[in-house]
Amino acid sequence: MRKPILLLLLILATPSLSLALTADEIIDKSNLAYYYAANDGKARAKMYIKDSRGRERYREMTILRKDIKDGGKQNFYIYFHEPADVSKMVFMVWKQAEGDDDRWLYLPAIDLVKRIATSDKRSSFAGGVFTYEDVSGRRTGDDTHTLLRDEKFAGKDAYVIKNVPKDAALVEFDHYISWIDKETFLPIKGEYYNDKGKLYRTIEVEKTAVIDGYPTSIKGVGKNLDTGLTTTIEFVDVKYNVGLKEKIFQERYLRKAPREVEK
Amino acid sequence: MILDTIIKKTLDRPKTTLLIYAIISILFLTQFVKIKVDTDPENMLSKEDPARVAHREFKGEFALHDAIVVGVVDDANELGVFTPKTLHNISNISEEILKIEGIIAKDLVSPITTDDIRGGGGSLIIEPLLKKGAVSSEEALKMRDSALANPILKDMLISADGKAIAIAVPIKEKDQSYRISREIQAITDKYKGSEEYHITGLPVAEDTFGVEMFKQMAISAPLAGLIIFLLMYYFFRSFTLIIAPMIVAMVSIVWTMGLLIGSGYTLHIMSSMIPIFLMPIAVVDSIHILSEFYDEYQKTGDRRITFAKVMHNLMTPMFYTSVTSAVGFASLALTPIPPVKVFGLHVAFGIMSAWFLTITLIPAFVMLVPERLMKNFGSSGDGSTSNMIKIQEMVGHFATKRSKWVISLTLLVVAISSYGISLTIVNDNPVYWFEKQHRIRIADKVLNSHFGGTYMSYLVLDGDEKDAMKSPAMMHYIEDLQSHIDSIKMVGKTTSLVDVIKKVGFELRDRAEGSDKIPDSSDAIAQYLFLYEMSGDPDDLYHLVDPEYKKANIWVHLKKGDNMYMKEVINSVASYIKTNPLPEGINTKWAGLTYINVVWQEKMVAGMLKALIGSFVMVLFIMTFLFRSLLFGLISMVPLTVTIAFIYGVVGFSGKFYDMPVAVLSSLTLGLSVDFAIHLVQRARQILAEEKDWGRTIDKLFDEPVRAIVRNAVVIAVGFTPLFVAPLMPYKTVGLFMALIMAVSGAITLIVIPSIMTLLKGVMKT
Repeated sequence: MRKPILLLLLILATPSLSLALTADEIIDKSNLAYYYAANDGKARAKMYIKDSRGRERYREMTILRKDIKDGGKQNFYIYFHEPADVSKMVFMVWKQAEGDDDRWLYLPAIDLVKRIATSDKRSSFAGGVFTYEDVSGRRTGDDTHTLLRDEKFAGKDAYVIKNVPKDAALVEFDHYISWIDKETFLPIKGEYYNDKGKLYRTIEVEKTAVIDGYPTSIKGVGKNLDTGLTTTIEFVDVKYNVGLKEKIFQERYLRKAPREVEK
Repeated sequence: MILDTIIKKTLDRPKTTLLIYAIISILFLTQFVKIKVDTDPENMLSKEDPARVAHREFKGEFALHDAIVVGVVDDANELGVFTPKTLHNISNISEEILKIEGIIAKDLVSPITTDDIRGGGGSLIIEPLLKKGAVSSEEALKMRDSALANPILKDMLISADGKAIAIAVPIKEKDQSYRISREIQAITDKYKGSEEYHITGLPVAEDTFGVEMFKQMAISAPLAGLIIFLLMYYFFRSFTLIIAPMIVAMVSIVWTMGLLIGSGYTLHIMSSMIPIFLMPIAVVDSIHILSEFYDEYQKTGDRRITFAKVMHNLMTPMFYTSVTSAVGFASLALTPIPPVKVFGLHVAFGIMSAWFLTITLIPAFVMLVPERLMKNFGSSGDGSTSNMIKIQEMVGHFATKRSKWVISLTLLVVAISSYGISLTIVNDNPVYWFEKQHRIRIADKVLNSHFGGTYMSYLVLDGDEKDAMKSPAMMHYIEDLQSHIDSIKMVGKTTSLVDVIKKVGFELRDRAEGSDKIPDSSDAIAQYLFLYEMSGDPDDLYHLVDPEYKKANIWVHLKKGDNMYMKEVINSVASYIKTNPLPEGINTKWAGLTYINVVWQEKMVAGMLKALIGSFVMVLFIMTFLFRSLLFGLISMVPLTVTIAFIYGVVGFSGKFYDMPVAVLSSLTLGLSVDFAIHLVQRARQILAEEKDWGRTIDKLFDEPVRAIVRNAVVIAVGFTPLFVAPLMPYKTVGLFMALIMAVSGAITLIVIPSIMTLLKGVMKT
């Protein structure tokens, strides 16, 4: 077993033993802290999208999440309130540990449920800067992680980690750098670079709060430096362990939204 | 008079004069390093022009970019480009293109980046048409069927016959297009199989244009210089003396181009013609001086005395011919087309510079010529003299003996020409600026025979209120409007938001019969669109609608970029809207380069008429002032009027389009051909005053004065012929017409003016 030996050597060589986490461990912890807090969660998200010409769009939705397995399978139920003409539209995702996720969309105006097949998780979520992966999490095993340094960022001690995709063909970035809060393990910032080494996209967590004992990001800003698109997302009414039942993440509940989606 | 003093000074101190000119020229030459080339057709309109402002605005709003187009064609293969091999090549090429610096990756149109909407099996897929990497033959055919079932992609990305695929590479900066197109070329060369690759598009055309422009300046202009030099040698038989007019021409070109570049103006298709225009015009005054000098020098044998006499005789006609030519060119400033204005004013400056240089530099130069080289000058006549005299005499007799005949014939020509003018087709198409065999013309032909049309214009429906475009009424209006536009000649395809909505609905309902339609509620439309935004690439959508859904953009593809076809579309849409009023609060605007071309063409036609009338009035005024007689003023306007009528009559009859180069010629003709009349009328009156007999006057007139005019006409006509070898069509057109105009107006002047004078000799006061 080579890994433990390496780890041991690393621990011996590091003066401060308590901080000697590997990059993989940091990313795993961060993934759990950010995407798998508690067993389930509920939040109302307000998304402001603004393009380089100042044109604005607004979306408001309730997001219900239930973890089937920590760090693994997870279900999302996203119910749109705004804009008014898409109110009651529902987007449901079964995030899989392997293979493609399952996605459904419900169109109330024509009372139709459709599976949305797309293998591209890097495409935009609801027209903003955030991608599907930003919303539901990128599998930690999809990248190789390297701890670059420790650094104080936005007043917080942070790990700076470089993430290089294992399959470059599946993603639009060459690599990205994450800043992870040493204390809460919430990501604070992400910088995405293209294959020419140029920074083209940033994601920053602007506000966090501890809710029901869980450190939670409540405001994030994404910027596409190439297109000038910015997206701000704010989470309000965040609740954890609300006791969401697994059955509401079923097709028939798309037509008849569970009461949890209302305020 | 101050001019006399200057001329005296230059004769006194020839070396100083030359030194001063050398210094000034060097100063102008230093400006040349700042040269900027402009081949952007949008610049035919000023930056603030409302049509251009709107065009720029819409380009930004709908993320429309100038794009290099790569057309992949395989006509020989039965499956066209839908073979695993070719598709794999296209995939690889697209992926490599995405890595090129300076392209707008998010808006690349290629089978691997542009979304297709597919249904089936209870699900909806919005993803790029072609997956990256290798595909099987089965997948290739599936992809073809899917693309052809998608009205948005068909005829745009994929040709209806399956033989061609297009890749459009939007670029950030147009000045990078040369490098980018070379990189694309290298990539396609690397993967090329049995399929052909045509690299074209506006940025490529512009670059090529810039290169050819320099070719014209580097080949045609010096060639014109050489030809003029040889012609003058034929006339005067002295290399030493004809160097002087060549210097005048070179110096006035250097000054004018120095001024142009130094003032920050760009080298444009128009301004690139300044040297070749100035070259012959600049030597014309020198030809008159040398002609006289040539005849007088042998009598006196003294340069100073000869010059005094020559300059005395020629000062007035030289000044007036220069001023009228300058007025003709300067009148182009009355057109609203910036490059045409710049061209006209600078040539006018060059003409006046050449005039001033001629009267100061030529004497100074001749004074410096060593005595021994002067010995032979003027002693032997030019070889053609005796033949020329015979012809001249014949013309003179014909004009006077058959004057009624000549006048009737002239009136007939004018009448027929007027009919010809009424047949004029106003049209232009920048692609016609390239020669037929040019690779850009070939690519244009190949791509437009396969696709819906590469000439884009955009009809924008502006609602100014959020979500205005989501209403079913609006959608139906667009749908009907679109099918109307589709029926117009040369329109190969239209695309709008309605196509997306219908396609999404069709696939959502698993292609059920009757589901290929606009939904009944605006919520359904909004939800289709939201689905697209959630599932596909919203940027694809925002070329057709703005993210706030205030404005919709109907893409109109034309198979030909002729202004007349675009104009037909504009008019047809306008009358459609008149009979089918737009929904409340909606208005329409056009954008796109094909439309911009129509706008500047219309401005140009109106502007040219203004310039022509303006210069006509100005020149008539100058002539009347010169001759102190309205009658003589009017007589001297006759030849140019007949010439212009004749030339445009020929244009009308021949079916040659009245395009930019043809339009520009009218004012130039006016300014240049009146020169012949000035010389002729001036000398005729002079001789008549001495001889008091019309018959003897004609004999004398048709000797040396007419010879000078013929030389003048020949130099200008022949001086423009090197434009024939220039690689771009507008240059060829200008070359052909200038040569024709000079020949015709020279001939008309020599025949018609004496005829009129013969008829009017009773009422004429000398």
